Amino acid sequence: MQRWLTVERRRQAAHVIARIYGIYADLRRWWPWYLRGLIFMLALDMLVPAAPRAPLGPPQTVETIKPHVCVHTRLIEEVEEWKIQRSLELTRALGAETIVEFFPWAYIETAEDRYDWTQADRIVSHARNQGIRIIARMGLVPAWARPDPAEALTTLNTLPPASYADFAAFVAEFAARYAGVIDHLIIWNEPNLAFEWGYQSVDPAGYVDLLRAVYDQVKVANPDAIILAGALAPTLEPPGSPHGLNDLIYLERMYQAGAADYFDALAVHTYGFTEPAAAESHPDLLNFRRAEQLYAVMQRFDDGDTPVYITETGWNDHPRWTMAVSPSQRIGHTIAAFRWAEVNWPWLEQMCLWVLRFPLPTLSYPDSFTLITTDFQLKPIYHAVQAYARGFPQTETLWLPPPAAASP
Amino acid sequence: MAAATRRRFALIAVALALVAALIWLAVDPSRRESAPLFRHGALRIGVDASYPPFAFLADDQLHGLDVDLGRALADELDIPAQFVLLGFDGLYDGLQTDQVDVLISALRIDPGRQVHYSLPYFDAGLALVSAAGRDFTTMAALSGHALAFEFGSEAHSEANRWLRRIQPFETRPYELPAYALDAVRLGHADAALVDAVSARLYLRDQPDWGAQMSVVRPVPLAIATRIDRLDRALAVNEALAALIEDGTVAALIDRWL
Repeated sequence: MQRWLTVERRRQAAHVIARIYGIYADLRRWWPWYLRGLIFMLALDMLVPAAPRAPLGPPQTVETIKPHVCVHTRLIEEVEEWKIQRSLELTRALGAETIVEFFPWAYIETAEDRYDWTQADRIVSHARNQGIRIIARMGLVPAWARPDPAEALTTLNTLPPASYADFAAFVAEFAARYAGVIDHLIIWNEPNLAFEWGYQSVDPAGYVDLLRAVYDQVKVANPDAIILAGALAPTLEPPGSPHGLNDLIYLERMYQAGAADYFDALAVHTYGFTEPAAAESHPDLLNFRRAEQLYAVMQRFDDGDTPVYITETGWNDHPRWTMAVSPSQRIGHTIAAFRWAEVNWPWLEQMCLWVLRFPLPTLSYPDSFTLITTDFQLKPIYHAVQAYARGFPQTETLWLPPPAAASP
Repeated sequence: MAAATRRRFALIAVALALVAALIWLAVDPSRRESAPLFRHGALRIGVDASYPPFAFLADDQLHGLDVDLGRALADELDIPAQFVLLGFDGLYDGLQTDQVDVLISALRIDPGRQVHYSLPYFDAGLALVSAAGRDFTTMAALSGHALAFEFGSEAHSEANRWLRRIQPFETRPYELPAYALDAVRLGHADAALVDAVSARLYLRDQPDWGAQMSVVRPVPLAIATRIDRLDRALAVNEALAALIEDGTVAALIDRWL
């Protein structure tokens, strides 16, 4: 065995030496061509346009006459920094002083106590540069804080009670890092939907436990922090439904579980769906004025002085979705909604449209909630909201009348 | 055989065994257990029922192209179909958490998703519609002509992109896709750019109008299965291929569109 190895090793060594010599001989013979090839490749590389850079310019301010106009952005998944900057420039040009942006726990604390703030810092610095205030939405659970996948199939929304303290610690870290810059924090998203609660049964009391875990820690980290709770999905799902729970019932149960002591403002999601902005609200109806139904619940629990932030609202103009309207109706309803809120809802702080733009299209009807396409085309709805927020006249006719003898 | 050669074979055999063991360990346990294809005894189909004519609720019953396709697929696989209603946002999470075996919900193939997609069963892309015999089947043919579309729609955005790429053409935005198609039929525009579903539904209601339709930006729709169930993906794909081959899929499309 010893002898065989020795012979084999000798053979291998001789083979390696021969290969090295072969490369050396090749280089001696062909080096002028290798050099030319290298120069050619470098020249080609110089022809490729460099990725646009995104240096911070002079600090900007938002010009608006409607400070309640706000828009939800999706910047956290944006790979290229210039697109973050461009999105925020367009937000400023829209006349929106405030954005809601998602800061997923799973993206930042990828391992326990190991934080990567790169993308969050980038968003914050560009937003500040444009004079835009951020409301941060917190959620999504990193793998290390979820149940063992061998025991249960989980999603990024699966937050076991055993991990509430870890989530609270993360939110407190976030609050401390951005104190004075981001003081508004939404705790979780639509916990009244089963899939947003990790496909577990929705649990208002469990959500209040989460608020309780977060509240005091965050106040220590940033005494000026405003904790926004709720962000409930508008839905009529009855108790016991596997899909979720009616937002009005869920909010009532939150109060019954003692939620009032653990939030400073209510985040509200209210969509117009197929109805105009001024359509009457009713507990059995989903429309824009459902926000009034939620506020009525707050009043019933003697919490009417707590401010309300609409952190998601809007209409969809997809041609197929049953809950959509036409693009022209969408514009009319959206502007009417801003006016309605301005005149009738003194308890409202902000009204944030879902959604400015997606970094990647969803390839289905959610794309028809955007104000700007993925390739930065401004949709007519963008111009309409801008005209409202900045007081621009909009007298131009946007579409043609139906052709003669048109189909209804 | 010499002892050295025997030893060499033995070493190779041990190395191969090690590689095989590593591969076996690397494979997900659920796949090692040779789990049954559809262990719930039915084809559990996730569907968003807010999207006619693909899936919608009427009189508490599910209807639509995707629903009929799901039933046909289950028949082909020789198991019962069981529909699970999910919202669009929850479709892929529902698949990932094993609440459904497949998603049939007018899903466009999205390379960013960690799932297996089947063969496409329908193209829901943007289509140019013009009078039969006119040469408006591509973007380039529009220069100097009039294009109708729905104001603010995906077609509107696409027309704006085209304006940057070809010689100018007149744009005629209307409030609804049907108005854009009316404009072509009544001679107010040379072509309309609308989604293929709107175009097919309109043309079905206008059987006397000799029109042509050409998809210019394809959007294939497909069935999704879990990434860790290749066996299931292959079975679904094979069944769908059979349904395409025997004309079932085409008949269902004609029925709904």
